[in-house]
Amino acid sequence: MKIAETIFEDGGHKWIALVRDPKRPHHIIDTNEYLIVCDDDAILCDPGGSEIFPAVFSALSAEFDPSRIGALFSSHQDPDIISSLSMWVEFNPDIKCYLSWLWAGFVSHFGGTEKTFVVIPDGGMDILVGGLRLQAIPAHYLHSSGNLQLYDPKARILFSGDVGAALLPPGEDGLFVENFDHHIQHAEGFHRRWMGSESAKRDWCERVSRLEIDMLCPQHGAIYKGEDVARFIDWFADLEVGVLKIP
Amino acid sequence: MNDDAAEKGDQMAIGNQRGRQLRHIVRINEEIKKVIATAFTINLMAMNAIFLAKRAGTAALGFGVLSNELRRFAIDLQKQMAILSEMTYESVSTVTALLKQARLNQMLERTLDVCEGLGRRLVEDALHSRLNDMLAGRQEQSDAVSRRLTQMIADTVQLVELGSVLARSAKIEAAYGGGMSVSLTQVSSDFEQSISEIQGSLEKLTKHHLEESAA
Repeated sequence: MKIAETIFEDGGHKWIALVRDPKRPHHIIDTNEYLIVCDDDAILCDPGGSEIFPAVFSALSAEFDPSRIGALFSSHQDPDIISSLSMWVEFNPDIKCYLSWLWAGFVSHFGGTEKTFVVIPDGGMDILVGGLRLQAIPAHYLHSSGNLQLYDPKARILFSGDVGAALLPPGEDGLFVENFDHHIQHAEGFHRRWMGSESAKRDWCERVSRLEIDMLCPQHGAIYKGEDVARFIDWFADLEVGVLKIP
Repeated sequence: MNDDAAEKGDQMAIGNQRGRQLRHIVRINEEIKKVIATAFTINLMAMNAIFLAKRAGTAALGFGVLSNELRRFAIDLQKQMAILSEMTYESVSTVTALLKQARLNQMLERTLDVCEGLGRRLVEDALHSRLNDMLAGRQEQSDAVSRRLTQMIADTVQLVELGSVLARSAKIEAAYGGGMSVSLTQVSSDFEQSISEIQGSLEKLTKHHLEESAA
């Protein structure tokens, strides 16, 4: 079962990270899921693949009634992001799935009906969860061609999808980045290979550096907080991406 | 074995069964394709036989009539096989839906294993209502498709039996074909050979269908 860790709480407004399943088979990539709660409503960011659904559902249900999750946010179309869709629909047939307009027709192969999908335009949009206004912000080509992230201006947290992701070796499984220089080596190969566009990266760094962010929460690896957020954005801005060097 | 383990085993067995059904349907479809191809050949052969009979004149009048009948038979068989093909497609849709349901149930079983409290209750309710739905709906649909397929295969076997009789009669008529007798006998032997191939395919098709129904 995954660990459910509350990383932000202010009254009925919460961010719960679902991380690190010790029983996860090693051939399946580790993922982080984030539940944003506002009173009786909640949105689940990148709910994960169908294979890890039992671990996510069980950890989540210990903290929040899963049938009250009103929406899913899918940063992009990959199976480790959203292939569990049909299972979530099973528990709430009216659940909405927010995702890039580019992927609605593709992700519907994983489940849901025409009414399930709420498409987000390229420029992004606001998403209401309870009384909370979240911002879906564009991160196209980082790595997917229709890629979005979710910013909570009140909690000052950015769910960054694959940006900031790190493939951590066994034993280095802390929830937060503790030593940036050490941690970032586990993120470098991932970003060089997965992030395909230098200009998209520069544009993202420029836009995101203007946001007030206390925590940057990726879908794989550890969470950046405090000064490590700006450190990560600077590191990413300087990193050469979109170039494959075959030896 | 406790009840939970038994139920989980059941779900896996259901998944395996559906997989076997799909494999049988694929084989049925392969046999249908072979029959359609052979029926097309019979159609061409029958046209050729009609011309031969005309050239042979009055001596081959009977052979000409039978060739016409064989051509009609080939066209009817092609139509029949097209319907069978559509029905197997319907079977694939039904079995795929059942397979998907079985996979969802397996996933819910796995979730139940690791859940406690509220989550466990929600999963139990979901499983309960899903199993009821499955028993009431999809299975009946699957059985209905299977029954129609059985009937259609039986009708096709009868039709091919008629084709076989026509081919045998054509062979007898060929003997009265005068100067063209040798050619007409050769053509009628080809008819027999082709229809015998179709009968072989239908036997295999029936066997796969029976195994699919049993699964």
